[in-house]
Amino acid sequence: MILLFASPAQAYIGPGAGFAFAGSFLALIAAFVLAIGTILLWPITFVWKLIRVGNPFKKAAAKRVIVLGLDGMDPGMVTRLMQEGRMPNFRKLAEKGVFRTLDTSNPSMSPVAWSTFATGVDASGHGIFDFLTRDPCTYAPLLSSTDIGQATRVLNIGKYIIPLGSPKITLLQKSQAFWKLLGDKHIFSIIQRVPITFPPVKFRGLLLSGMCVPDLRGSQGTFAFFSTKTDDGVPAFTGGEQTVLRRQGNRIRSRIVGPDNGMVRGSPRMTLPITLTVAEDQKSVVMEIDGCPEPITLLAETYSPWITLTFPAAPTVSVSGIARFYLTSISPEVSLYMTPIHIDPENPAMPISHPSVYAVYLAKKFGSYATLGLAEDTWALNERVIDEKAFYQATMDICDEREKMFFDAVSRVKTGLVTTVFDTTDRIQHMFYRYLDPDHPANAGKPTTGEYANAIERVYVHMDGILGKLLDTVGEDPNTVVMVISDHGFTNFRRGVNLNSWLRQNGYLTLLPGADTSGDWFEKVDWSKTQAFSLGLTGLFINRKGREKSGIVEEGEEYKRVTHEIARKLETLIDPATGGKAIRRVEIAPEYFTGPQRFDAPDLLVGYEGGYRNSWDCATGSVTHEIFTDNTKSWSGDHCVDPSIVPGVFFCNRPIVQKQPRLIDVPFSILSLFGQKPPDYMQGRMIFTAKGEGDGLATTRGLLDPASLAQSGCAPGARVGTTPAWSVDHVTV
Amino acid sequence: MKPLISLLNTVFDVVLAPFGHRFAAFDLLVWPALAGVVALLVYKKVSNQKGIAAAKNGIQVHLLEIVLYRDDLLGVLVATAQAMKQNALYLGNNIGPMVVMMPPMTAVLVEIVAHYAYSPLPVESRPLLEVTMAEGASMKSTDVTLEVPPGLTIDAGPVATPEGMAVWRLKAEAPGDYVVTVKVGAESQQKALAFGGEPRKIPVERTNTWEAILYPGEDALPSDSAFETIRTRYPDRELTFFPDGESGILGWFFGFSLAAGFALKGPLGVEL
Repeated sequence: MILLFASPAQAYIGPGAGFAFAGSFLALIAAFVLAIGTILLWPITFVWKLIRVGNPFKKAAAKRVIVLGLDGMDPGMVTRLMQEGRMPNFRKLAEKGVFRTLDTSNPSMSPVAWSTFATGVDASGHGIFDFLTRDPCTYAPLLSSTDIGQATRVLNIGKYIIPLGSPKITLLQKSQAFWKLLGDKHIFSIIQRVPITFPPVKFRGLLLSGMCVPDLRGSQGTFAFFSTKTDDGVPAFTGGEQTVLRRQGNRIRSRIVGPDNGMVRGSPRMTLPITLTVAEDQKSVVMEIDGCPEPITLLAETYSPWITLTFPAAPTVSVSGIARFYLTSISPEVSLYMTPIHIDPENPAMPISHPSVYAVYLAKKFGSYATLGLAEDTWALNERVIDEKAFYQATMDICDEREKMFFDAVSRVKTGLVTTVFDTTDRIQHMFYRYLDPDHPANAGKPTTGEYANAIERVYVHMDGILGKLLDTVGEDPNTVVMVISDHGFTNFRRGVNLNSWLRQNGYLTLLPGADTSGDWFEKVDWSKTQAFSLGLTGLFINRKGREKSGIVEEGEEYKRVTHEIARKLETLIDPATGGKAIRRVEIAPEYFTGPQRFDAPDLLVGYEGGYRNSWDCATGSVTHEIFTDNTKSWSGDHCVDPSIVPGVFFCNRPIVQKQPRLIDVPFSILSLFGQKPPDYMQGRMIFTAKGEGDGLATTRGLLDPASLAQSGCAPGARVGTTPAWSVDHVTV
Repeated sequence: MKPLISLLNTVFDVVLAPFGHRFAAFDLLVWPALAGVVALLVYKKVSNQKGIAAAKNGIQVHLLEIVLYRDDLLGVLVATAQAMKQNALYLGNNIGPMVVMMPPMTAVLVEIVAHYAYSPLPVESRPLLEVTMAEGASMKSTDVTLEVPPGLTIDAGPVATPEGMAVWRLKAEAPGDYVVTVKVGAESQQKALAFGGEPRKIPVERTNTWEAILYPGEDALPSDSAFETIRTRYPDRELTFFPDGESGILGWFFGFSLAAGFALKGPLGVEL
C-alpha cells in the first residue's frame, strides 16, 4: 500500500526493503488469489463430487482411518513389554479393541509386505518379490521397485549435454494402491513414507515416498568417511567410501563427492571442496563447505543439523542435497562421518512426493528431514564407521522428524485416511538384536552391556509414547478407526547360508574353469552349465531356457524336476554347527502364486528357520567355499525367514470378526470401512463389521493369547538358533 | 537543511557525471548497481535476518497449505489469515532497515534526478516563474517584485492569486544560466534559471520545507522566509535508452538497483 500511494521519491526504499515490500505485496496477492479462488471453486468441486460419487461416506463404517505403521514391530516383544507394564498405551488400545498377530507376506520383507498393504494383492499381484531382482539378459542385479532412466532427448552444447525433458522414473510395482481407489471416490488420504512409493503416483491426496527413494548419487545410501588415519590395505567399506585426509597444521582440505554430472560429457562426479579447521583446544572443528553461507562448528560425537550441499552442474544449474556430519574423533586423528546425501526436500532433484510441493511444505514447516528410503545408515554401523550411540541418535532423530509429519497429517485429516510408516522399530531391531542373545556371534569384540543393550525396548517404549499421543489426539471419536500394524516381526540372525555355494556343491551352479570362488554378482559363473542361482534375500532363480540369456533348463518336465529336487534337498539342509534344520519350507513359485506377475518371481522362495538367513555373500550373488558362516555384523536380527515365524502386529480400537487377520486383509478392510467396494482382484477379506452390522459380530477382541506366539522370533522366552524348540511356557498376559 | 544540501552538492557534483552530462548511461548504470550492493550489505547488517527468514518461511508454509488442503474450506481461511499474519511480521521486520536506508538512498536518487531528469529551458520557450508565499507570511503575493538580469525579460506578469501565488512569464534572448531576484518587503531571494545549451544539473525549485532535500540544484530557502517555494517547470530530458523524467529515473533506479540486489543476494548471503 505504501508503494502504491507514496510519491515516487518517498516510495524509494532501497533494494533490501524494496524487495521486502514488493515481495510482501506479492505474498498478499497470492494469498488472496489462492483463498478466493479456492472459496469460489469449492462449491463447484462440491457439486461435481456430489454428481460424480454422491456422498462418499454414505455407507462408511468409519469416516477417518489412521494407520500407524511400525515397520518390523514384533508381537512377541510387544507382548513382553506390555506384560512388564512398559507399553500401557498399546495395552489400552488392545483392551479397547483388539491385538492379534498379523500374517505377513511371502517373502516376509518390507518391500514385499508394504506393497501388499498398498495394493491388497500378494507378491505375484504387485510384482515386488525382494529388494533386488536379476536382469535376465545380464544376470546383473536390478532394483525391483524403480527404474530410473535417462532423458531421451538432449541438446549438445560444447561439453554440456542439456536434457530436453525429465529422466523417466518408473515405479515397477504393479496393480494400484488402495488410496488411489479412495481418491477416485473423493476420499482424501495422506500417505507418508510407505515403502515402494517412489516415484509417487498421482492420486487425490498427499504422499511422501518411503523406502527405495535413492540418495542424491542414485544409490540406496552411500555414506562418506573422512579421516586422517590411514589403514593401508584395509578393504573398502560396504555401503560407503573413505577419503584419507592430509593435514596441514590445523587445516584439512578435501572434497565431498556428489552425484554424477549428467549435464557434462563423460558424466564426471560433482564435488564440493570442504575445509576443516581444528580448534586450538582440540574440542571442535570448524567446517567450511563451498556454497554453504556459514561455517559449521562440529563438536565431537554430536551430529550437525542437516546441511544443504549445492553441487554446481552447469552455469545457472545446480543440484541440491542434504547431509549430516558427525565427528567421530578429533585427536589424535580427525575422523568425520557424513551421512549419505539425501535428496533435498526443499528443492528435490527427483520426485519424492505427490504433489511435488508436499515435500517442500513439510520441509518448510518442520525443517529439513531425511528423504532417503533407507534413511537409517545401517551399513555405517555394520562397518563400525560410527558406533551404536551415533546410529541410535540418528535413528531417533529421524523418528522425531517422522512424528512431526504424522501428527501434522492427523491434525489435517478430519475425514479420510492417514498412513505413516515409522522405520525406527525395524532398523533398531536389525542392528541391536544381538543384545537379546548373549551367544550371538555378532557379540564377539563388541560390548554386550551398557547404554544400548536395551535399545530395542527403548524404541518400543518410545513408540508407545507416540501411540499415547495419538490416542489423546483422537479421543473417543467413534468415527475414527486407529490401527497399529507392522509388516512383519523379527527374529535372530545368527547364521548366514550361502545358497549359491550350496548350489555349486550340489552341482546346480558351475564356475568358470580355474575359478575357486565367483566374486560378487556372479562374476565367474559359467552360465552355460548353471541350472540355478540365488540373488537377494530369499529368492532362488532357475536358469530357464528362453527366459535367462544363457538359460539351460528346459521348460516343462526338466524345470519341474529341478525345482522340486532343489526344494526337497534344501528343506533337509542341516547346519553342521548345530545339527538343526536351516530351512523350514521352500515354496515353488509357479505352484504357490496365482497372480499375473508370478512369471517374474524367483522360482523358489526359501523360508529359513529362525536364526538363519541368506548370507551377506549370497545376497550379492557370490559363490564362496562355505555354505554356513557366522553372522558377525551388527545387523544381527532379521525377518527374511519363513513368514510363519515373523508375523506382524495388528492393534485396533475396534474388535474384528476374523480370528486371524492378515496384512493382505488390511487394505481390503479399509476400503470396506469407508463403504467402498474393494475391487475383485484384491485378495483380502473384511475383518471389521460393516456399517449397521453391530459390534456383536466382532468376537475377536482384547489381548492376544501369548501361547499363539510360539513361532514368533521375539516371543517371550523364545530362544532362536542354538535351541531348536520354542518355549513360551512362562508367559502370561 | 542548507548545510546538508551543500554537503551533498559538494560531494555529488564531483562524483557524478565524470564524463559530462551528455553520457547519462554511465551514472544511470553505475549508481543504481552500487546503491543496490551497498543497500544489500547495510540491510544484512541492520535487519533481523533470522526473523525475516522465519516470516518468509511462514508465508510460504501457509500459501502451500492453501494449495494442499484446498478441500478444507475452514483450513483455507485459517491458512489465509496466518499467511497475512506472517506477512505483517515480515513487513515489521523490514521497517528498521527501511528507516536506516531511506536517507542515503534518497540523497543519491535526488542528485541523479537533478543531474539527468530535466533539460534546460528552450530559448524560444516562455517559462513561468512561480512564487508561493509561506503560510502565515505577513506579506501578500501582490507585494512581490521580480528583478531580471540582462538577456532575460519579463514577458508577462505578475499575476497574483488569492491562494498566495505570484506568476511571471519570462523570455530569454540567448542560452545561458540566469539568476533572477524575487523581493518582498525587506527580503530578497535569488532563483537560477537554465536556458538552452548542454545538458547540466538543473535548478528546479527552492523551498523552505523539508522537500528542499529533493531539489539539490539550489540551496534551500531560509526557514523563516516569506516565500515557501520559487520554482520553474523544466521539460523532461530525453534519455534514449532509459525512461525519461523524474518518474522514469526513479523507476529505473528502483528496478535496476533491485535487480542488482537480487542478483547478488545469494553470493552476499542476504535474506531478503
